[in-house]
Amino acid sequence: MKRVFGARTTAAALAVASGLAAALALFGVFAAHGAVPKTGPLTVHAGLEKPPGAVVRGNTLVDDKGIRRELSATVSGAMMGPLSPVAVRSGNGKLVAYNTWQALKTVDAEQSFSAQGIADGAGLGVPSLRVHDDQGKDFLVARGAYSAAWRHDGAIAFVQGADPVFRAGRTYTGQVVVRQAIHGRDVVWTTDTAHYVVYSWAGDRLLFYRFGLGEKTELLVADGPGKIRPLTEGTAVAVSPDSTRVAVLSEDATNVRVLDLASGRELAWLDVTTATPPLQWIAYSGSWVGDNIVAPASSGLAVFHVGSSSLTLEQVLSLDRAQFPVGVQEPRFVDDAGEVVAASADVPPAKDGEGGVSFLLQCDRITRSCERSAPAPAKEWLRAVDDSATEEGGQ
Amino acid sequence: MKVRAAIAGLLAAAALVVPANGSAYRTWFEFTRQSNSWSPLTMAWDYGGGHYDTQTWRAGSGVSTDACWINHGWLPAGWYDLWGHWDYYDATIKGRVFYLQNKPCWNGTWRTQLFIHSEETASQGQYCPTGGDDPYCWEGASDYYSNGCIKVARAGYPSDLRLVHDGWHARSGDYRHGSFGVGNFVYVR
Repeated sequence: MKRVFGARTTAAALAVASGLAAALALFGVFAAHGAVPKTGPLTVHAGLEKPPGAVVRGNTLVDDKGIRRELSATVSGAMMGPLSPVAVRSGNGKLVAYNTWQALKTVDAEQSFSAQGIADGAGLGVPSLRVHDDQGKDFLVARGAYSAAWRHDGAIAFVQGADPVFRAGRTYTGQVVVRQAIHGRDVVWTTDTAHYVVYSWAGDRLLFYRFGLGEKTELLVADGPGKIRPLTEGTAVAVSPDSTRVAVLSEDATNVRVLDLASGRELAWLDVTTATPPLQWIAYSGSWVGDNIVAPASSGLAVFHVGSSSLTLEQVLSLDRAQFPVGVQEPRFVDDAGEVVAASADVPPAKDGEGGVSFLLQCDRITRSCERSAPAPAKEWLRAVDDSATEEGGQ
Repeated sequence: MKVRAAIAGLLAAAALVVPANGSAYRTWFEFTRQSNSWSPLTMAWDYGGGHYDTQTWRAGSGVSTDACWINHGWLPAGWYDLWGHWDYYDATIKGRVFYLQNKPCWNGTWRTQLFIHSEETASQGQYCPTGGDDPYCWEGASDYYSNGCIKVARAGYPSDLRLVHDGWHARSGDYRHGSFGVGNFVYVR
């Protein structure tokens, strides 16, 4: 009896222990994913072999499956930096539009134009927009064009320069055009020639910037050709998944507002300098999944929680400034739960000369750990291909 | 000294334009990026025989130290030509302004439409209608931040902006206004 009892006790104990172990294992998983995200430093390790989604670098496109494809020109965001993605995938996933830059003259950034004999009006380069399809065909969309965004139905918006050549002493002006099909004709959506950058679609509405002196930006929304409304001065952080709202950033990079796109009405507002913890600034071109927005921030990354009429700072993830002195750009949630963020991180050269490098980072904001890719020369524009047009809402 | 190197660079510039004026000196600026809201802007003038003098003011640029970050980072390093100077400029930037050439940063991004300016109205006044940050009102240290332009204070008497402006005219002997070119006007390090 005692022995039987003992055996039963042992079996029961084993069962309890097994159950406990399983529960602990499950708890470990849930503790990591599903736990409340906490503010704190990110740890970054090398070893990101396969970034989520497709990436571009130089004249190479690496697709989602890791297959390398050669592009007919090298990618470059020379005309817009992180205001607009360097490469964007169409809603059906078959086409990747990418920005390129053809230099007409070698410019030594250390020297002034006059010291290099570059006269007023001299041609310096030509931006162009190209498309690479899933069959390996690569073709020119438009010369003198940059900053592309795909609509859910396959239409593509971009800026078409009035003069394709970027010239010394001249502002690069153009019109925002929409091409219904990739080989179709362009329809001009703007009413005035100006210095524009296309940001994103929000459903059937197009968001784009008009540039002013001192690199001041005004965010505009087009409801159709010629139907342009100013939305706000400043920049866009992210479009909501249902395409009805946009989070915008003030000119001084300290105030985030959520606006209703149809009316322009302000739904929520936050001054990040008075949030907890306070931030010096945040930056444009982030990402919005569910009720969360991620954006570049002075300390690294900021994650906001969006309510129907509220905006709160949920988490701040700080990066080691010795490793990443200028932080990250274009962070994107790469999972539906909004727990994993991918971003690019540039490290400038010591004196703004040659030698800056770029990394891709993938960070788990629950465990506050990141993996980084191998470095690439900054001039090769290592960037994730923007997939937002393939997502629901078709940004 | 950095200023000596700047003199050598300045003398090497073929396109430096100094108008014929008996009191004109070779005059240029240097902006030494230290922080976004606290970086010295130095005016240097060479009055011959290897002798030069300087005057320095507090200035700022950008909100980030990434020179490739359009609308956000400080301006890239290197020499800049002047493309124009106005006393009563009346656009999104107003008042006394110095318009700088475009410049590519270290990854090839073009930084454009950058100025040396402050926060004042087209008539060189102050317009402070709210208790917040008004764009044509110098409220304080936070106004040194910019989208990339170099900004100096429009506070005190005389203001730093006035000293920069008047100093440029007086030392260089160049009293032109409007669109015109001056080679190697400012060096950003």
